[in-house]
Amino acid sequence: MQVNIQSIVPDYFTPASSEVWSKNFEFQPNSKYLVKAVSGSGKSSLFNFMYGLNNRYSGSILFNDTSISSFSDTDWTTIRKQQIAIVFQGLKLFPELTALENIQLKNTLTNHKTETEILEMMSQLEVDQLAHKKAETLSYGQQQRIAIIRALCQPFKLLLLDEPFSHIDKAQITNAITLVNKEVAANQATLIIASLGDTYNIDYTKTILL
Amino acid sequence: MINQLLKKQVHKSQLLFFALSSSLGLGILLIVVQLLVDTQSIFNSKNDLLGNQNLIIYKDLGRDNAFTSDEITELNSQPFINKTGGFTHGTYRVLASVTFPNHAGISTEMFLEAVSDEFIDITNEDWKWQPGDKEVPIIIPKNYINLYNFGYATSSGLPQVNEKIIRQVPIDLTLSGTHKTENYRAYILDASEKINSILVPESFLNYTNKKLSPLKANKISRIILDVINPSDPKLLEFLASKKYNYLSNDIQNSKLSYVLKLILSIVLGIGLLITILSIYLVITNINLLILKNKQTITQLHFLGYSKAQIAKVYHAIAFKILAVSIIIALTLSIICKYIFSPYLSVLQVQPNITSIIYSVILSVLIFISLAMYYRKHTNSKIKQMLRPNTSLLSSEN
Repeated sequence: MQVNIQSIVPDYFTPASSEVWSKNFEFQPNSKYLVKAVSGSGKSSLFNFMYGLNNRYSGSILFNDTSISSFSDTDWTTIRKQQIAIVFQGLKLFPELTALENIQLKNTLTNHKTETEILEMMSQLEVDQLAHKKAETLSYGQQQRIAIIRALCQPFKLLLLDEPFSHIDKAQITNAITLVNKEVAANQATLIIASLGDTYNIDYTKTILL
Repeated sequence: MINQLLKKQVHKSQLLFFALSSSLGLGILLIVVQLLVDTQSIFNSKNDLLGNQNLIIYKDLGRDNAFTSDEITELNSQPFINKTGGFTHGTYRVLASVTFPNHAGISTEMFLEAVSDEFIDITNEDWKWQPGDKEVPIIIPKNYINLYNFGYATSSGLPQVNEKIIRQVPIDLTLSGTHKTENYRAYILDASEKINSILVPESFLNYTNKKLSPLKANKISRIILDVINPSDPKLLEFLASKKYNYLSNDIQNSKLSYVLKLILSIVLGIGLLITILSIYLVITNINLLILKNKQTITQLHFLGYSKAQIAKVYHAIAFKILAVSIIIALTLSIICKYIFSPYLSVLQVQPNITSIIYSVILSVLIFISLAMYYRKHTNSKIKQMLRPNTSLLSSEN
């Protein structure tokens, strides 16, 4: 998916000068981007703008040349099921559901993966043993991996990962990146990762400083 | 799974409590509606004490006790009087004779009056007359029949009659006016509990008055009033100020009717109030439930669940509460109908299922309208909650 950012500035805080705010640039299809920033500079805000959760900004964002401000609520629901996958920085898992249920919650909406495929992805990230444990009993790193798998249980043209590997060890990060790369390639999607500094050894089309 | 998440704050006992409180109000509402339907026949029948909303007034006895047209206009202009009807009387002498087979005939002098049909408590298609008709229908007061049956017939050995048989009795009327005397065949059509007079159709009286005593003026000495409430103090004050007389019995009856209606209205009001309060209670609790699950709702929405999918869970809860409360209320009202039926039979209300049908229809209507209202309310609450920028997630930056 082609995403055009046209001089957006948040209304509710004054960001420091960067390569994002008040600038015009685009995210190309089939490309990978790293949005690198210190904490508090507005990474999550940028993701929330693109995910339609927040519209308190000036400027415009275009998806394939259509301004996202024209999207209705129903449009967003469809987009969130079929176009944009996201891993929130806060993960937003349901603590009272098991790891597998959390993933299935998304998958039942899309029927994108079979349970075998889900378990396969879980075993790749070494969380298959935790499938039936409540999310609230998992460590943050384990929850991050569940959230990544949940995000991959849908067709997408844009994958937004907000500091997705912050609590995962190096070996697991490699596994996760392999999985993410595979899914991004299969979906021919744009990948945008927000990170405080780590580049996770991904071959980015561009790194944007925020 | 979405059900499990969205219902996590729901306690069954709490829902049952809402349903019970709603059913209390709805139950009272249905019971009163049923009672109103059941007793409709009493309130509507003009001859019964409960339906009596007429008052007959007259002036003090004397030579000139007729009402002038000015006075009638004045009566008509009073806000507490719906309409007036004057009694016109025959301007000729009337001799009525009756012949019973195998008995000596009886004959008596009497009089004839007429009043507008709308004030007569008898609806009968035979209540009409036009020149050339063979027989004249007559309405007599009900107590005349009693007087005859238990007084005259018993003492003179004549047969007793009821309202059906009396119709068969041929009456010969000899009307002697100033110009002419004529004979007419008449029969007693029915007996009235309301109007204490011997009535013939207005057309007959006008015709005979003109024909037999063309020079005599028609005077109105009694007026029947159709009033909103015969015991209205304003009305009674007005009548007293004009020195018009009335029968206090009419007032007593109307007071009873008025009080009964008042009580039913008050109960209906209480039922409505409880219903409204319980609707408010259910709405408040649905709000609370939605608020308690705010985080879950927003998260589900951001995962791609539509508002409709989320709202459906709460619709189901509201509909269940509503259905349970309406079923309880309906059952309650039907049970009450059977408990009340012996008391109602005293008022000569025939047991019938019409009122139950009304209750069921009303219940269905209440269900549909409240369900639509709850649905709309829940949708708007969820919509309000899921507006952009109000989410928990957008607080991250």
